[in-house]
Formats: sequence, structure tokens, C-alpha cells
Amino acid sequence: MAAKIASGAMKSLGSIRRDFAPWLDQAAVPFIRFEAVTKRFGGFEAVDDLSLSIYEGEFFALLGASGCGKSTLLRMLAGFEAPTSGRIVLDGEDMADIPPYRRPVNMMFQSYALFPHMSVEKNIAFGLKQEGMAKGDISERVEQVLKLVKLEDFAKRRPDQLSGGQRQRVALARSLAKRPKVLLLDEPLGALDKKLREETQFELADLQYQLHTTFIMVTHDQEEAMTLADRIAVMDKGRILQVATPAEIYEAPNSRFVADFVGNVNIFEGKVAAATGDRVTIATSAGRKIHVASEVPVVAGQAVSYVLRPEKLRISAEPLSGPNVLEGEVWDIAYFGPVTSFHIRLDDGSTVKVAMVNATRQGPLQLTWHDRAFVQFDEDAGLVLTQ
Amino acid sequence: MGEAAAPETIDRRRAGTAETRRGRSFGSRGFFRIVVIGLPFLWLVGLFLVPFLIVFKISLSQTAVAMPPYLPTFGDPATWWSALQQLSLDNYAWIASDELYFNAYTLSLAIAAASTVLTLAIAYPLAYGMAKAPPAWRTTLVMLVILPFWTSFLIRVYAWIAILKPEGLFNQLLMTIGVIDQPLVILNTPIAIFIGIVYSYLPFMTLPIYASLERMDHSLTEAAADLGSPPLKTFWTITFPLSLPGVVAGCFLVFIPAAGEFVIPDLLGGSRTLMIGKTVWLEFFTNRDWPVASAVAVVLVALLVVPIAIFQRQQARL
Repeated sequence: MAAKIASGAMKSLGSIRRDFAPWLDQAAVPFIRFEAVTKRFGGFEAVDDLSLSIYEGEFFALLGASGCGKSTLLRMLAGFEAPTSGRIVLDGEDMADIPPYRRPVNMMFQSYALFPHMSVEKNIAFGLKQEGMAKGDISERVEQVLKLVKLEDFAKRRPDQLSGGQRQRVALARSLAKRPKVLLLDEPLGALDKKLREETQFELADLQYQLHTTFIMVTHDQEEAMTLADRIAVMDKGRILQVATPAEIYEAPNSRFVADFVGNVNIFEGKVAAATGDRVTIATSAGRKIHVASEVPVVAGQAVSYVLRPEKLRISAEPLSGPNVLEGEVWDIAYFGPVTSFHIRLDDGSTVKVAMVNATRQGPLQLTWHDRAFVQFDEDAGLVLTQ
Repeated sequence: MGEAAAPETIDRRRAGTAETRRGRSFGSRGFFRIVVIGLPFLWLVGLFLVPFLIVFKISLSQTAVAMPPYLPTFGDPATWWSALQQLSLDNYAWIASDELYFNAYTLSLAIAAASTVLTLAIAYPLAYGMAKAPPAWRTTLVMLVILPFWTSFLIRVYAWIAILKPEGLFNQLLMTIGVIDQPLVILNTPIAIFIGIVYSYLPFMTLPIYASLERMDHSLTEAAADLGSPPLKTFWTITFPLSLPGVVAGCFLVFIPAAGEFVIPDLLGGSRTLMIGKTVWLEFFTNRDWPVASAVAVVLVALLVVPIAIFQRQQARL
């Protein structure tokens, strides 16, 4: 069991696992293609000219705030909504004229949508019956998936006799029973409490690893997306802003929106004061000069933002050496256990978030509210963004 | 709860406080509960059970040329014992022996059953359409279903006479179109009774079915489609079973009053169709035989209540 969990955990650390990355392979054929898909509801554009390729065996996450079009995208793939324009191709087949009940995809609904008048067993057998599977094979398959979600003892129960976590497993079992080519998950862990959600995350990752089925998940929870997915598409206003591995999304966001949406971030707005090679000096709008390294070419006078994750800064009560030393007053402290988060009100009036990893048991730093504090970051700690 | 000096008094006072507190809270909550449960209970006892017992007592009496027209009466407490001894089941024996009553019962139950099925067949698609309509329309649609209640029931049934009679609107329409040459005889036939009952009771069937369909989670039918079930099959395996509570409620609301219906068969069905409501009326007003009329009514209640009670017990067991 420990080994299993470890494999699941390994797999979800996008930056570490590199044995599965078909999106980097030029020769790989996408399993699912959205081609210039647009969906309008009345005057509202839910999905706007969106193109996306997903590969076989991928665990793909659509991440965004509510109303960003992620659920509509999933529902179009399931066949509940038809695109206003554009094409959806699954395993080489255009899905346009195929009704939901003939698509080789299954969905796990956010509300679970378990049939309340049927037992767990019958709920799971429902899809298999539609295929005209023989009775003996059905009960065998039902037993198999119940075992997969560890609910063997609950086959005869009705949905209202189960806890929330158990219902979630039944919904998962039911959507897996037909062995779909693609499993669609609409906020699969949204209704569970935090503790259960964390446990279930690993089980879900583990399950996907065992089955090698393509999973597409919709979520508004960035942590969930980062834990589970091979790749994440960050969506806003019907468009995809970035598709990348969790680590790339976090460490190399391509826009301010993505940087801000995923995780905590400090954003320094300003103009390029001087640029020589990859060395850039930015004059921030708060009237400070910061010296950073840029991966993108910029010219003097260009408006840029510098995004910096809180854990990439150092904090101290003593003056610090190195580039980019900022000084201010401790405004807020939040102790989370593994990290302590500081809000430092700088002397220019702006606020900087700093996360200090509590690597030792007794933090040597004894900063408290209203103390003077020094904050420092290296030139390559953050990222220069022009969008 | 005064000041206490000695320790033992404190103890006693504490015990007393706890008791008082429990007693008081129980008292106020208990009072509330008694009111909430008691009012409908009193209503049922006063307006259903007591009248029923009076009718039941009359059904055990004998006719008499008197005021009230039956014997015995329970006036003077001294004669109660002899009065009790005069009660008998003679009227029930009479009902059982005369075929007229048996025929009236079976006809009433048959007409009620058939019109319930007809009403269901019309109300279900209606309710389904309402439940699937855009949410903004639904309130209006429910209003339209209730709208006929704003006119007197009697006037609406009279209106059907004008529509169904040989020279009425319906026949005129059919003859103008050229479907028929001779007017159809609909009025004063069982068909007219069916039309009257289905029309009058349609809202009672539509609204409970609508209520059960409207609150059904739409994602259930999507889940069924997702698992490979075509729309018609989804209807029979998911939608219909889940709307059964509404269907059952609607069927009771139509079947029970339809079985005892008096106005519709009297106005639309003519004199040849003798339903049980009409029989009670005849016994009461034409024959002035209150005991037999009461016995007929009691048997009707028994015929309706017993199957419902059995059905509900089975539902509870499921």
C-alpha cells in the first residue's frame, strides 16, 4: 500500500516524472482534439474559439473560476451541449452527430447523480445493462469495480444510506464500470471535507495510474489540479491561458492572470529602466529599482511585471546582503505549521508576502508584529512577464 | 430560588433548579407540540370522525315517520340501553341482497378507475411539459392549471352540457368540418361522465405529478444518457419511477372523489347511469330512507379506505 501511494504521489509531481509526456513528442497523435470550439448561450460566450489537444492516458485538469467555461467544455465532450461552431474529435472520430448515449466517454457528476431508487449494485450495473452485457458478466464487473473503490460490503445499500465519501466512490465506480475511453470528472472532490479530499486525491491518482484511462477533470481548486493532473489548462472567460505541467504553471506562468490564480504571488509593476542581455533593472511604480534576470527580451521603457512567489524571498530581523534588499514593518503573521507567512509593509507603502519554510523545529527568527524586517530576493527568484 | 446559606440547602436548591428548568422547558415545548399536533387532530375528530360515527349510527337504525326520520334516537339517557338494543345490521343485509346497490358500486368504481387512468394519461404529459418548460414560464403554467377553479364547479359542468348536447358546440364543429352528418349522442352517456370527470379533476392529477417531476435532479437523466440509455428508455427507468409518488398522490386525489361523484353523473350522465353518489341522493331525498342511505355511504367509505390503508402500509414497508 505504501508503495502504491508513493507511486501515485511520484506521478503527481509533474516536474519529477518525465517518462510520460506525449505532449512533448512531435509524432504523438492527440486522443482528443477541440478544434476552434465556440459555445454561445444567448449572447453569452461560454467557450470562445478554443483549441486543445489531450493525449491518451493523460490526467488532464481544466482549472478556472466558476463561469470560465470549463464545465461547458466538459459537457460538450460528454454530448450534453453542442458546440456553436468548431469540432470535437475523439479517437479520430468527429463527435458532432453522436448523442451522449453513444459516446465512449463516461462522466462523474459533481452532484454524483446516483439513481436514488436503485441500490449501489444496480446503479453500477445500469450502464452495463445498456450495452446488453450478459448477466453473469455484469455481476462480475460490478464486483470488480466495487472492489476497486473498496465498497464491496455496500452493494445492496441505497444511495441515501451512504455517507458523502461513499457516494463519491459509488459515482466513481459507476462511471468506470463501462471502461470508457475517457473519464470525465466534474469537481470530483468538491463535496468532500478537507481531510477526506486529501485521502481521495491520492486514491484517484493511484486509480488512474492503474487503469491508464484518460481522465479529464474540471476543478476550481488549484491544489487539487496540481496534485492530480499531468497537465493543467488554466481557463478564463472561455479561453485557455496556459496549458502546462503543474510545475511549469507554478514556476513559469505565462501571464499575470495565471501567476495570480495559481498560488500566492507578489507582483511588482513597473517599467524597464535598463536592459543589458538578460539583466534587467525595473523601476517599480512604487518608486523602487529592482535588479532581475529576464528570460524574455525586453527593451527600456517597456511596461512589465515581475512576479515572485512568497517562498522565494528571505526574511530576517538583521540587515541582509545581496541584491534587492527591501525594508519594512511586520504587518501580519500567519503560522501554518510547515510554513509561516508574513505580510511586510514596505517603507514605500506597498506590501510584500513572504513565506518562511519552518525547516527546523524552533524557528531562529523571532519576528513579531510591528518589528522592523529585512526582505531579500535573488535576481532569478522571480519571473519577468510582459502580459 | 432564594438565597441559600447552608450547603445542604444549596444542594437542594440546585436539584430544584434543574428540575424546574427541565420542567419549564418541557412545559413550553410540550404546550407548543400539543397545539401543533392537537389542532389538526381536533379538526379531524370534529369534522371527520364525529360526523362519520353519527352516519354510522344512523346506518344501524330503522326508518320511521318522524323527525328525524329514523329510530332509535338517543335523547333521554334512561332509554339508552333499550335504544342500543334496537340497533341492527338490517340495512347492510338489505344492501347486500339488492343487486341495484352492487351494480351501482361496481359501476362507480369502474368509472372512477377508468377516468383515473384517462386523467393520468392526459395529466402526465401535461405535467412533464410544464416541468421541462423554462423556469420563468413555470409559475404562469401552474396558474393556468389552477385557473378553472376561479369559476364555480357547477357552472363549468353546465357548460359541458352546452358543448356536448346534440345541437351543441362540439357537434356543430364536427358537422361544419364535415366529419359527421348526424349529431353524435354524447350527452347522457358514460362518455359524457368520463369527459366531465377528466376535465374537472385534471388539476388534481397534474399538480402532484408536476411537483415530483419539477424537483427531480436534471443530472439524473443526463447520467442515464451518459451511461448509454436512449431518451425513451431513460424515461421508463429513471424519470417515471422517480415520479411515482406524484402519480400515486394524483390517482388518489382523482379516484376517491370520482367514485363518490354526484354532480357530474347527474348532469351529464342522464338517468340510466346510476352511480353510487346518485344512489345515496335518491335514498336520502326521494325515499327519505336515511338509514339505508347512511349504510350505502359507510360501505363506500370502507371500499375506499381499506385498499388505501393496505397500499400505504405496503409503501411504508418498502
